[in-house]
Amino acid sequence: MNCEETKEQLVDYLSRQLSAPEHEALAAHLAECAECRDELQAVERVWHTLGQAPVPEPGPQARPEFYAMLASFKEELETSPDYSLRGVLAWLRALPIPRPALRLAYSLCLLGVGLLGGYWLNSSTKPAAADQQQLAVLAAQVGEMRQVMLLSLIDNPSATERLRAVGYTKELPDPNAKVVNALLSTLNHDDNVNVRLATLEALTPLAQADATVRLGLVHALAQQESPLVQAALADAMVQLQERRSVQPLRRLLKQANLDDMVKSKIEQSIQTLSDGPPAAPATPQRHDQTQLSPQPAGAALAV
Amino acid sequence: MLRVKAGDVDRMGLLFERYHRPLFGFLYHMLGRAASCDDLVQTVFYRMLKYRHTFTGDGEFRTWMYHLARNVLADFIKKNRHAAHHTDVADLAEHLPGGINADAGLEQAQDVAQLHQALNRLRPEDREILVLSRFQELKYAEIARVLGTTEGAVKVRVHRAMNELKTTFLRIEN
Repeated sequence: MNCEETKEQLVDYLSRQLSAPEHEALAAHLAECAECRDELQAVERVWHTLGQAPVPEPGPQARPEFYAMLASFKEELETSPDYSLRGVLAWLRALPIPRPALRLAYSLCLLGVGLLGGYWLNSSTKPAAADQQQLAVLAAQVGEMRQVMLLSLIDNPSATERLRAVGYTKELPDPNAKVVNALLSTLNHDDNVNVRLATLEALTPLAQADATVRLGLVHALAQQESPLVQAALADAMVQLQERRSVQPLRRLLKQANLDDMVKSKIEQSIQTLSDGPPAAPATPQRHDQTQLSPQPAGAALAV
Repeated sequence: MLRVKAGDVDRMGLLFERYHRPLFGFLYHMLGRAASCDDLVQTVFYRMLKYRHTFTGDGEFRTWMYHLARNVLADFIKKNRHAAHHTDVADLAEHLPGGINADAGLEQAQDVAQLHQALNRLRPEDREILVLSRFQELKYAEIARVLGTTEGAVKVRVHRAMNELKTTFLRIEN
């Protein structure tokens, strides 16, 4: 052991923090090195004198003050339980976290909330799409059911039931050929005038888009005997601007037992159809709304 | 302290009785005067109550206490930077235990006063490490835990601070 190492260990020696072998080595060196003994003496003097430095007594009020503080702290603790929201907030505020760290944590929290929200929204659109799909399937099924109902009810002996069947037509989004044929046959052959009128009413809007329906209506003119239905058909023809109906209407005029009112009505209709669109439609408001631009006759003939 | 942490705040009284004197001594040596030390002791004990959850229990209570005390002291010094660090040597002599025989007593008192003066002239880091080692009688490992450093570093710093103190003391003496 050299003097340098020894000097470094003198304080450790004085504060008794040397291990037994270190202590022995140091003692051995001190026994043979006078310089280090002097150094030890100097350090020891400082060390011991330092130890004698008096420490004043704490003030007499220190103890009562401490207990007063403890009591008030306990009171504080009892009035605000640590696990309430405010307690947690106060605890958070009391944490010795540096401000930037707090801000960073806050912004990270916000970011997390945003990400979670986005994820949640994103994932919730998928079920919504599935719902919509299911809804569409259900709606289609209901439509099919109505069609079946209509087809079965339209042959019902009760006029009320047949009326109801015709009423279903309005609720069908896209009636197929089967339905249209059933309706046309009802229009031509049903015993009840009311049912026929309702059928005509139901078919007129369909005729706007469906050429088969238009043709069916034109053919129906010849088969009607009821003045009411004849008049309504004449109106429908005017509304649809169906020029092909002029021929059957003229033929209808030649019938001997034709009602006077119907006669004038038909004449008026022929007049309107030959001249062009009517200045003031004689049909009710409801028909007005469905009055679209007339289809060229050629398109209807092509079908 | 673990029981205080668990909610038995009354146990803090026991800790106060056991540790408030050493704590006072530490603050006194660090500040070089007795004024404000009582207040600082109160502050340290208050913080112990308030931050009792930060006591992990794996270190000794003493190291945790000095750790908090250092923070309190740093806050205090920051707040009172304008108030110069000073020691009243005459004031110090007053505190000497009475009944010391005139000559020897006087000489020793002078030594003690001069040494204390020398201690106060050291850099705060050097003073702190000597106070912790000599007055508070903390082992190097404990000091390392208080200061958040390694035992080896503490050893080196104690040695260096002691040399510094010795030379300063000799300069004052002569």
